[in-house]
Amino acid sequence: MPEDMQGLETWNDALTSLQLLQIDPSGFGGIWLRAPFGPVRERWLRHLLAAGLNTVKVPGSVDMERLLGGIDLSLTLQTGSLHMQSGLLQQADQGVVCISMAERFPASLIAPMTQAMDTQSLPPLRMSDGSESAPRTQFGVVALDESMDDEPPIGKSLQERLGLWFDLQALAPSDVPELEFSQLSQGNASDQSLDIRIPAEKLLQARQLLTLIQWSDDQALAVCATALGLGIDSLRTPTLALRVACCHAALNMRSVVSDEDLEFAARRVLAPRATRWPAPAEQLSAPEPETAPESPPETAPDQEPAPDPSPEAAQEPPDQQAQQEPPPADQASQDEPSADSPSAEDLQEMMIASALASLPPNILDSLLTKTGSSQGNSSGRSGQFRSGMQRGRPLPPRPGRPAGHARLHVLATLRAAAPKQRLRSATGQGRVAIRSEDFHVHRYQQNSSSCMILALDASGSAALQRLAEAKGAVELLLQQSYARRDSVCIVAFRGAKAQLLLPMTRSLVRAKRAMTGLPGGGGTPLALALKMACEQSVQLQRQGVTPILVVLSDGRANVTLQGLGGRAQAQADALQWVQQWRQTGHRSLWIDTSVQPDPQVQNLADAMGASYMPMPQVQAQRMATAMDNLRKQSA
Amino acid sequence: MASTFPFAAIVGQDEMILAIQVVAIDPSVGGVLVLGDRGTGKSTAVRALADLLPPIQVVKGCPYKCDPNNPAQACAVCSAQAAPSGGKAHKLPTESRAVSVVDLPLGATEDRIVGALDLEKALSQGIKEFSPGLLAQAHRGFLYIDEVNLLDDHLVDLLIDVAASGENLVEREGLSIRHPARFVLVGSGNPEEGELRPQLLDRFGLSVQVRTPQDVALRVEVIKRRDAFDKNPTAYKALWQAESDKLQKRIVKARKLLESVQVSDEMLTLCARLCQQLGTDGLRAELTLLRATRALAAMQGHKTVTPEHLKTIAPLALRHRLRRNPLDDTDSGERVQRCLQDILAA
Repeated sequence: MPEDMQGLETWNDALTSLQLLQIDPSGFGGIWLRAPFGPVRERWLRHLLAAGLNTVKVPGSVDMERLLGGIDLSLTLQTGSLHMQSGLLQQADQGVVCISMAERFPASLIAPMTQAMDTQSLPPLRMSDGSESAPRTQFGVVALDESMDDEPPIGKSLQERLGLWFDLQALAPSDVPELEFSQLSQGNASDQSLDIRIPAEKLLQARQLLTLIQWSDDQALAVCATALGLGIDSLRTPTLALRVACCHAALNMRSVVSDEDLEFAARRVLAPRATRWPAPAEQLSAPEPETAPESPPETAPDQEPAPDPSPEAAQEPPDQQAQQEPPPADQASQDEPSADSPSAEDLQEMMIASALASLPPNILDSLLTKTGSSQGNSSGRSGQFRSGMQRGRPLPPRPGRPAGHARLHVLATLRAAAPKQRLRSATGQGRVAIRSEDFHVHRYQQNSSSCMILALDASGSAALQRLAEAKGAVELLLQQSYARRDSVCIVAFRGAKAQLLLPMTRSLVRAKRAMTGLPGGGGTPLALALKMACEQSVQLQRQGVTPILVVLSDGRANVTLQGLGGRAQAQADALQWVQQWRQTGHRSLWIDTSVQPDPQVQNLADAMGASYMPMPQVQAQRMATAMDNLRKQSA
Repeated sequence: MASTFPFAAIVGQDEMILAIQVVAIDPSVGGVLVLGDRGTGKSTAVRALADLLPPIQVVKGCPYKCDPNNPAQACAVCSAQAAPSGGKAHKLPTESRAVSVVDLPLGATEDRIVGALDLEKALSQGIKEFSPGLLAQAHRGFLYIDEVNLLDDHLVDLLIDVAASGENLVEREGLSIRHPARFVLVGSGNPEEGELRPQLLDRFGLSVQVRTPQDVALRVEVIKRRDAFDKNPTAYKALWQAESDKLQKRIVKARKLLESVQVSDEMLTLCARLCQQLGTDGLRAELTLLRATRALAAMQGHKTVTPEHLKTIAPLALRHRLRRNPLDDTDSGERVQRCLQDILAA
């Protein structure tokens, strides 16, 4: 498939998804839109607004009471009688909740939201008497995610519940046919070019149709098998895919789910979640050559009123590069045709083909090299509120306004107001008169957790001498950090590159597994490793985690920042990044893995402000003690 | 309340279903920890729990759902009413209420869990009154924590304390209140994302590991049932009502039988030897093992506990209690199984 066609297809699908939302806002969870701020996203959002859906925007700073509903504090204080306000989630009933900057959305807000999505009712903020039922609400979620490649995306539990995933990061404005320069400058003057909104009567018809549409057993089987083939373990996914397919059928006024609908679902629900290359010959049925993805299904252009690609689109190559022929074609066509082909299997092949065709080529590469099914370990911790007014050990209350994350400390407030009651009694009729200056808020003390960044030298010089020993030492460190409930993050470096072997995790099993599989050999790109460690530390700090760096290396840098050989330059680069780390002000420990304690390494460690430990004398146990001391300093 | 997926209609995940039934029969077993990936039906199964249980008798109007037949554990108000100082003890009016399954979301605040000053009354009437939290709500029921391994440490501290003592002690905001909070802790999580504090791990009686079924036909069946339920929850529930009733009856019967299930000394020795062999910490392992096997025997309508029961339960009850190297990732359930076979053979 030509590259620009893929961009267009993505865009068209993104528009289709808006129509699906109109038909069934809550049925398939919602949409995860990964795109930076820019004309493409703006365009899509404008369409969303124009779609006539009940859209409630939720900012990341929303507080729990506003989200779920609770006491309307100001009105209650004003009138002296209880006033409740309905939460944003309830207002979004039968509509859409739009979360901007969803990747920074704190986990404490995602949790009640996913609960509301699951149970279709709001978790009560206060204890109910059991008599009144929780308010019911059904909504879809549009999560706008602006995270960069190296940043954690939106929380996993939310990801999982959103049916459609779109990645418009690679989409250039020229891919979007309606986005021409003239239109951009004129604002929304020519919005009529494309109407996303479904007319009311057609919408009603489609909704009625949706209730009647039922997929067949073969189709369900195909979806399940495809999901299994793509390494999607969750059973929520096939359910969502089938719902999307039904919705798509309703959109096209079909009373049965057709192949085209399934293709759409495979492309937009299953494919983005693929964690594994479908094994063509193993437990799946062997794909047949004639349906193999030699020519991917041309579905997008004719299924909705999308205009033809503008001439610009053809000329300007989008920035999505790495144009390789998607490998599925050759792989699949080598397989022998299966003897008999029931329709479920046909469907499944078609869906796999469709799913594969929509994957960008570079993703395929990473899938092929990465066999594990767990990529990226962040559990949506980004943006978690760390230092704060919400939880932890209570501190004395302090005057302040109960807004955002600060909770009103009622007793302190009343206490502050008490002496002034007589003065204010002119207004009060037997109730406490409280002014805004009386407000006190809760404060809590919270120890931020720490994360140990291990920079492990696996280069030839280190491997020859004591990589195994170093690994043993690391294991001890890991055990200690387990006891301390710290997390770890491993950067390994060898040859021409440093590699983030393991993103921040608390799971030591994974850490150990990642480490044992680590091969040795090659040059020592020390500067690259330090650079990566610095980047990691910045990210960790953003999440409210204190980083501690442990370098295990013999310090013989011989690969420069550019990944080239050259000892002198490499040393200079390393020194530069060592100083960079010092500037971050975080603790570090350098464990010298060379045979003899090396003054050069000691210099580096000094420049870094690190504690230096030569390995020859260290027994692994002593090293662990040193680490503990270091922690105590930083605590 | 939105209707929940019928428990009887859950397919696969036999181990999880077994464990949940066992704690439903005998809450003193402790609780269930469910470890596994997302989308395996953990939450569905737990939320469906309420189906299994017959309504309970509570003191009328009591916010803590005090048990009228057990005044020793009642809250301050109820015990004062039941036995007024100097007066004669009398029966309190009762009502029947459904067993509560309370969801504790990950981001819950301390106030929400423990309970706090009633803002409403404090602001509008100036009255200092306690507004009970999730712990109170979960009394005599179940407390479900999704992603329990990601729970903040200070919340874990709270839970550990309350789960052990069965009583929630509130000393904050000028309040000083204690109320009973006996609940069955049910936690779920994905071990890949983080580990559980050993202390909390110990509070769970049983631990099960769930995986998504890798059999396509089974998966299709799950999807079908889920879809049918989503399309029309009430009708689907009605369809399964008979099955649900049957399950409920079985549990009620098992509860009655529980008292009379005999555990021979040989079985006790077997339990003790197993625990000793595996080197579990403390005596809690033996106790849990004993109670869980008894509940299982009752569930199957047996009057005595046999080695077969032990075989089924042992991995669940001991898996998470083995002292193990945190870096060791072999399945502890197999270790338990192997050890038990050795002992039985000997």
